[in-house]
Amino acid sequence: MSDFLINWLAMVPVFAAPFALAALGLLVTERSGVLCLAAEGYMLIGAIAAVGASLTFGGYPLLPLAAGAVAAAVVSLLFALLVLVFRVEQVIAGLALVFFCLGLSSLIGSTFGWTSRTVSGNPQWPIPGLSEIPVLGRLLFSQDLIVYLLVPLTALVAYLLNGTMTGLRLKAVGDSPDAADAAGVSILGTRLAAILAGAALMGLAGAYLSVVVAKIWVDGMTGGRGWIAIALVIFSGWRPWRALGAALLFGSIEALVPRVAASGFAIPQYFLFMLPYLATLGVMVWTAWRGGGGGAPRALGRPFLREDRH
Amino acid sequence: MADARFPLAIRPRPEAGPLARLAAVLGGLVLGLAISVALLVGAGVEPSALLDEFVLVFLASPQSAASVLFQAEPLMFTGLAALLAFRARFWNIGIEGQMIAGAIIATAITLLPGIPDPLRLPVMALGAAIGGMAWIALPALLRLRLGVNEIITTLLLNYVALNGLLWLLYGPWKDPVSGFPYSAEYTAAERLPSLGWGRVDLALPLAILIALAIAFLLARSRFGFLLRFVEANPAASGALGIDVTKVVLTAVLASGALAGLAGFVVSAGVEYRMTQSFFVGYGFSGILIAFLARNRPILALVVALLVGLLMVGGQSMQVFYQIPGSMVQLIQAVLVITVAASDFFVGHRIVLQRAEAAG
Repeated sequence: MSDFLINWLAMVPVFAAPFALAALGLLVTERSGVLCLAAEGYMLIGAIAAVGASLTFGGYPLLPLAAGAVAAAVVSLLFALLVLVFRVEQVIAGLALVFFCLGLSSLIGSTFGWTSRTVSGNPQWPIPGLSEIPVLGRLLFSQDLIVYLLVPLTALVAYLLNGTMTGLRLKAVGDSPDAADAAGVSILGTRLAAILAGAALMGLAGAYLSVVVAKIWVDGMTGGRGWIAIALVIFSGWRPWRALGAALLFGSIEALVPRVAASGFAIPQYFLFMLPYLATLGVMVWTAWRGGGGGAPRALGRPFLREDRH
Repeated sequence: MADARFPLAIRPRPEAGPLARLAAVLGGLVLGLAISVALLVGAGVEPSALLDEFVLVFLASPQSAASVLFQAEPLMFTGLAALLAFRARFWNIGIEGQMIAGAIIATAITLLPGIPDPLRLPVMALGAAIGGMAWIALPALLRLRLGVNEIITTLLLNYVALNGLLWLLYGPWKDPVSGFPYSAEYTAAERLPSLGWGRVDLALPLAILIALAIAFLLARSRFGFLLRFVEANPAASGALGIDVTKVVLTAVLASGALAGLAGFVVSAGVEYRMTQSFFVGYGFSGILIAFLARNRPILALVVALLVGLLMVGGQSMQVFYQIPGSMVQLIQAVLVITVAASDFFVGHRIVLQRAEAAG
């Protein structure tokens, strides 16, 4: 039983990392008042770009992750063009982008022959000394670089949002764009930066998923994790530390699936695969029941153009 | 954009005529198609082949026209499903999950003994509609009672339905003959009868009838009047004493029923069994159809035909040019993007800053 527990908990950070990265990215974009349903699409682009970089250049452990982040940021320029310039309804733009990325990532995968080829993955970096501590060493100090970075990254996002002028401007743009505009903050510039930075984090999440977790690309491999991340952000009230907590919760649910399957319980695996989706539904219902949606940026989903004011 | 140094400025255009709207949509479509052609040519397709596969195919032979119509049948159902939900301002992104639920119920009915042959198809259709309705009921209730975002809930339920489908096909419903992961073949009485033109079957007249009925209901009935009111302004509708919950719930359940029927149309008309990927792509295509048809039922049938043409053309591209199937998906997304962006030019015009200052 304790083996089961340790094997399970040791996998939690790896499964939680994509949720955490995606949720932080979503949070950054949405705090600027831009509704981002495109998360699943950015993750797919990040995933295929990372596998492509890994197969093409090999060797370098961090390069594929960077490639995933950059690729998603580039694709997010299209989203920015749609919602900031052409002011397409943000729900439509987000959905269209998800399907665009689904098609594009699959097309790239089959065109370049990157589909279903294993990649070398990311090395684990056990911290000398600390990783030898019984149990804890395995759980916390024998992970890879991205896992170690989760806490500092969350702290950085929280600090940027709550402790700096940049964060103040971002939140002002997301909460009351008219007032921010009158105060001289560039609405479109701030939102563009938030879209790019958020997409880079979501792309990193996808890259981590393909190169580190699965070590392979298959079409649609994100399997709805981008949508789950959106639910986590609502659940967390758009707050970074809570988002990290929610990501850990979902990471532990996902890590449970292969463990339970391997332990020989007589539950068909397909019912186990339903678990993360059902848990997300549960969390959404609970959030709403509690009087939820609290903490949402007040201008979320509303386009801004100064000329619209009369 | 309001920067004085920048010569162009965007001005809202309060009233745009129907002609301007049409021009904008057509402009968006043309741009989207141009990008799609560029993508295909870039992937190695001869431009002349494009003309053959996507344009001439329809005129060339009644056989290929029939194959486009046949491909369009389930698309008509998912397009109508999407537009009914959108009319109620409900984002039904779970059409594929509802298709799965519908096909599962229809397949379960094929496994029941004791139903007389002539009744089998109607009972299967009814079951599929109920299955689709059941699958959308939870997101509908959560949205109406608790305000839970239906985009995410309907989408999540797609994955739940898919895993349920895989469990059935790899477990209890595995084909007893071959052991492959698909259900046993439907009997002759459980297949949609052909109309004698290619593979076109009974689903086509059924889709046309349903579209006409929806168009009639929307234009003439009390329910249609209320739905149009809710579509235009949900908040005011509530204030005026309209039972918004009832109107939305009715439209959304009907949307789920049509999606369930789409699942039945594929399994009883195309595959004659339930496979693990029969639904793939129909959900997004339904959304695309409703979007391009501006939620108009009759127009949706026409757009469904065009998407059917795109799919049939895509299949032959796949065979003759090794173009991956995902190209069709990408082209559909490009069309949504360009048409959505073109809407901007309906509501806004771009003016020369200096000219305006002078005027």
